Amino acid sequence: MDDRIIQFIDALRASGVRVSVAESADALRAIEATGIADKELFRLAMRATLVKEAHDIPEFEKLFPSFFGTGAPPMPNQPGGGMSQEDRDKLAQMLEQMLANMTPEQLRQLFEAMMSGENMSREQLQQLLSQYTSQGQMTNPYYQPWMTRRAMRELQFDRLDELLQELLEKLREAGVSEEALQQLAQEARENQSALAEQIGQEVGANMLRRAAEERRQPPPIDELLDRPFDRLRYEEIDDMRAVITRLAAQLRSRAALRQRRGNRGQLDAKATIRANQRFAGVPLDVRHKKKHLKPKLTVICDLSTSMRPIVAFMLMLVYALQDQVSRTRSYAFVSDLFDISNDFNESRPDVAIEAVQQRIRPGYYNTDLGNSLATFARDHLGTVDRRTTVIVLGDGRNNHNDPNLRDFEAIRRRARKLVWFNPEHPRQWGTGDSDMLAYVPLCDAVHRVSNLRELVDAVDSLFVRR
Amino acid sequence: MLMRFFNRKAHNVFNAIGEVREALGTQQYIASDEIATVMFLAEKLGKPVLAEGPAGVGKTELSKAWAGATGRELIRLQCYEGLDETKALYEWEYAKQLLYTQLLRDKLNDLLVGSKTLGEAADRLAAEEDVFFSDRFLLPRPLLRAITSDKPVTLLIDEIDRADAEFEAFLLEILSDFQVSVPEIGTIKAKHQPIVLLTSNNTRELSEALKRRCLYIHIDYPTFDSELQIVNLKVPGLSPKLASQAVELVQRLRGMELKKHPSVSETIDWARALVELNAKHLDRATLDTTLSVLLKYESDLAKARRAIGREDRGRSN
Repeated sequence: MDDRIIQFIDALRASGVRVSVAESADALRAIEATGIADKELFRLAMRATLVKEAHDIPEFEKLFPSFFGTGAPPMPNQPGGGMSQEDRDKLAQMLEQMLANMTPEQLRQLFEAMMSGENMSREQLQQLLSQYTSQGQMTNPYYQPWMTRRAMRELQFDRLDELLQELLEKLREAGVSEEALQQLAQEARENQSALAEQIGQEVGANMLRRAAEERRQPPPIDELLDRPFDRLRYEEIDDMRAVITRLAAQLRSRAALRQRRGNRGQLDAKATIRANQRFAGVPLDVRHKKKHLKPKLTVICDLSTSMRPIVAFMLMLVYALQDQVSRTRSYAFVSDLFDISNDFNESRPDVAIEAVQQRIRPGYYNTDLGNSLATFARDHLGTVDRRTTVIVLGDGRNNHNDPNLRDFEAIRRRARKLVWFNPEHPRQWGTGDSDMLAYVPLCDAVHRVSNLRELVDAVDSLFVRR
Repeated sequence: MLMRFFNRKAHNVFNAIGEVREALGTQQYIASDEIATVMFLAEKLGKPVLAEGPAGVGKTELSKAWAGATGRELIRLQCYEGLDETKALYEWEYAKQLLYTQLLRDKLNDLLVGSKTLGEAADRLAAEEDVFFSDRFLLPRPLLRAITSDKPVTLLIDEIDRADAEFEAFLLEILSDFQVSVPEIGTIKAKHQPIVLLTSNNTRELSEALKRRCLYIHIDYPTFDSELQIVNLKVPGLSPKLASQAVELVQRLRGMELKKHPSVSETIDWARALVELNAKHLDRATLDTTLSVLLKYESDLAKARRAIGREDRGRSN
């Protein structure tokens, strides 16, 4: 049983649930406490010890039955139970004769199980399947019926019918009554269909397990980090998400560490007395109030087509760092500015990003940063104060509209810092319709963010105190 | 009743889970299989329980019920941003210490009288040092109280997601070993291992390390049947028909897109309001006056009223 639990944990890990060694040990201990007799209890005990995220619960529920499922119903009958003693002896004898020289082996096992009504354990069934059937490449549950039929064919499951007829024939010759024979046949058939169902279930379980194993390849993180945003393939975006969650965790602890080192606040009388108790109250070790440098962020994102993927990653990163930030406001613009902070306050970042991208669609050639800055200066300038870092995320391509440096300057005067993230190479700044060179002198910092590594570094620099 | 079971050696687990549920039931808490199993495991394995879920589904209530069911004291630590160990664990009573040194000055003089050298005086003083760094001057906060309590207790760490990440790290020692270190005194080990419940509304991700040390349970809004059961239990004055209508409406509201969905505690408040107002059925007027108990945003209220109005019209046509 322990083996099976370990396998299950492996499969969970493979499908992306993070399970530590300590947690798997806990699971085994929990099962010692609950026992395995009650399936429901067993499931809940495993879940409480192994799954620590609400969004991993569906994955658990999907895998669980394929490992510990109640299985298909057991075979209902012990054929020949209703026969007289004499007939039963004949049956046993005939059966033994037939089984003794039956080939192939898997057919003998199946026939024996069917006629004796003794259920094969899941391990036995698995062995049977792995020895006598070819494992397919299909992992999509859609193909399960087809895979089951194939396994049945390879096990020569159909021949069980012939064998049953043969047995019945022999018993008839031996003088067993027709009535008893019919009942025997009936019972055997019921067993046979139960057996078929069991095999089907095992095939399904195997497919799920293989699917979990196939997903095991971790994304090549380094490679993804350096891949330019515009060359990301669609299916890599999911991998990127996982990477971003990890990067955000790193950034968070880095930012938290930096905060703790900051020791330039006011004298903390209480902490000083407390720390100097061991010196009889003589203040040898002076403590200061920790100055928590939690920046306020205001992010203004260009949502034109070329910028979309970067904006999504940027917002995901910024919103994963919420506990290091005292307040984040976000705005998106194409031709005019929209306040998207509410989307993020109300739902998870990935959902919010999706919603925003659905709502604000780019048209052709209508990006207008100047107009958007004017809207910002008119309606939202009040939200910018001396603790706010304003980040503009865009390529600075303005379709030859007015760059509106006056309002940009107004924002800069109020903000603590005004930072620009631009995915284009500095060489391209100022070419074509790019107004970037006009904005650069007004910014406190300009970062180039053409791939994830640069983006992470740029976001990290927001938390460095100056 | 419950304690007897946990002390018993040979046992039957099925009964155990049933007993857990029954015990919680005596505290008017209706526990699902999941909750009962997790509480059973917490008690068996001595591990903390982390309960996550939307606000107002009875996470805090669970720990109160559990404390009541096991007859233990409930010690509660409410987390908030900026919570630190002086608020959560212990603080020295400086004033008392200073007062004592002043009052005991004569005694100290007595102690030092007759010492020939400075060294000897210092040794004598050092021998008495313990007096000033002892439990006597230690002001215990919830965590220390839970650990040093003479009787087993239930410790509730409420809304851990509101505390800072540093505080979470600080909790790890307590949660895994049930001991704390006070530099001046040494390590204090728990006399009785408390049962710890942490709750989180999931406003931020908790650290892996913390999650690893806990059993996890996700408590969601109850199903129609169990919510009805809760309402019947908590608000016995409400007629069964009205109760089921009310719960049905609440469940429907949860299906809608609202800023804030009604919680179980709000359902109960609403049911109480209906009883107070002597409502016979959920008509337009009753809803208009009482719906604000369930929904706390004007926009939500308007949306709900519209949806209900639409339905009524649909029915009359």
